Amino acid sequence: MRDVAIIGVGMTKFGRLEGKDLMDLLAEASLNAMKDANVENKEIDAVYVGNMLSAAINHQTAIASSLVDRISIFPAAADKVENGPASGGSAVKNGFLAVASGVYDLVLVVGGEKMTSADTDVLTDYIATMTHPTAEYVHGITLPALAAMLMRIYMQRYGVTERHIAMVAVKNHKNGMKNPYAHIHREITIEGAMQSVMISDPLRLYYTCPISDGAAAVILCPADKAEEYRDKPVKIIGVGQATDVQCVHEREDPAVLKSCRIAAEKAYKMAGITPKDIDVAEVHDAFEILELVESEDVGLFEKGKAHLAVEKGVTEIDGEMPINPSGGLKARGHPVGATGVAQIVELVWQLRGEAGERQIKKDAKRALACNFGGFGNNTVIHILEAMWK
Amino acid sequence: MSKEQVVEKDFMVYRCKSCGRKFYPKHDRCPYCKATEFEEVKAGDTCTLITYTKLYVLPEGIEMPPLTLGIVDFGEGIRALGQIMTDDPKIGMKLKPVWGFLRKIGGEDYYGFKFKPIEE
Ligand SMILES: [Zn+2]
Repeated sequence: MRDVAIIGVGMTKFGRLEGKDLMDLLAEASLNAMKDANVENKEIDAVYVGNMLSAAINHQTAIASSLVDRISIFPAAADKVENGPASGGSAVKNGFLAVASGVYDLVLVVGGEKMTSADTDVLTDYIATMTHPTAEYVHGITLPALAAMLMRIYMQRYGVTERHIAMVAVKNHKNGMKNPYAHIHREITIEGAMQSVMISDPLRLYYTCPISDGAAAVILCPADKAEEYRDKPVKIIGVGQATDVQCVHEREDPAVLKSCRIAAEKAYKMAGITPKDIDVAEVHDAFEILELVESEDVGLFEKGKAHLAVEKGVTEIDGEMPINPSGGLKARGHPVGATGVAQIVELVWQLRGEAGERQIKKDAKRALACNFGGFGNNTVIHILEAMWK
Repeated sequence: MSKEQVVEKDFMVYRCKSCGRKFYPKHDRCPYCKATEFEEVKAGDTCTLITYTKLYVLPEGIEMPPLTLGIVDFGEGIRALGQIMTDDPKIGMKLKPVWGFLRKIGGEDYYGFKFKPIEE
């Protein structure tokens, strides 16, 4: 297996992007990443497009072929990758495997979603179709309802208060203020968050991510060729993906994201490192409770202790273990198929020292991205390392 | 059967003929021992609420928020998710499975199990 490097990253702004359709977004992010990698005049061997909802809400299928047409990278091999909210992470994993195997030398991975043109209740329903058809969906379950039930059981068990959940939201909004690509540029307070509208008790509006449009892209090549394209290449040193039973009620422990744990273990094993070697992480906070649970289940904090790290400012941009310096899904936004790629784009910027006002204070060498699909039954983890450090 | 009405009905789960463990919902291969032969058996008459939510933003096909949803535990490793027939749910409360109207999907009525508090 060959080592694989990321030599280019790019994204669109995330948000309610009037006048731009799904293909506009995918093309823009792809061209930004190709430019960053200095491969505008090179032949791309393959493209993987992470997207969940194009058929359901954009009336468009086979979008990977459409993208090739838009950006003229014929005759590149082209596939769409769909894995719910982890479509982006799965697309990067497929790109990684393709380069690692030796089959392709230059691969474009782009994730994108155009969501704001759909009605919210229709969108919520499509997203809820990820759940078990007869044992969950039919009962009226939505993703916020599953997050709320996790939040209640987790808070009760570990003595976590609603205030802690609000603190995570406040931190992510603060980071998002410094990210020009973020959907939400608004500072919030703990009290404001705790008074926001109840979506699914105890889950409030400010503990959930927005509905966004956007796309993000990376360019991959064999690590030993990376410096032929540009300086500061970032190696993908670990990839892990794992699944769990679909129904939340059937999980061994409904307060634990087992797929997250196993995916992380696999990624650490491939990388030959432990959680202590991680300097910064982007985790999938579609709901703020998930930032706590995931950061524990990927091993960055002891189980039930992540809220104490939040209290002490450990997860802030200037803390010892910055989490979601981008603003996370909460503030950067969550164009579903784009998210897993955008996490990696952010971490590459952080490792290169190109994150502007939100640049983390510590000199980071290794970073972890956790992209979570379904309601935690399919998690994709990537571990990145700065090759020049 | 009217939409308000519920009837008592046994909550059936799957028992693996090889390892004896029970599970719900159906898997075509035992999640524990990978065997493929099962029988349907009745879960207990009562279950306990282990977590819940009151959902205010409802999906299409359900009216009248809030909708109380929860996860119940029948013991023997069997849990289920469903609508909880009370506006005042409490963790640890005892419930019994009943059969009634759940929601509309694509304009069609769907019936199934939900969970009703047992009067103490
Ligand atoms: Zn078995």
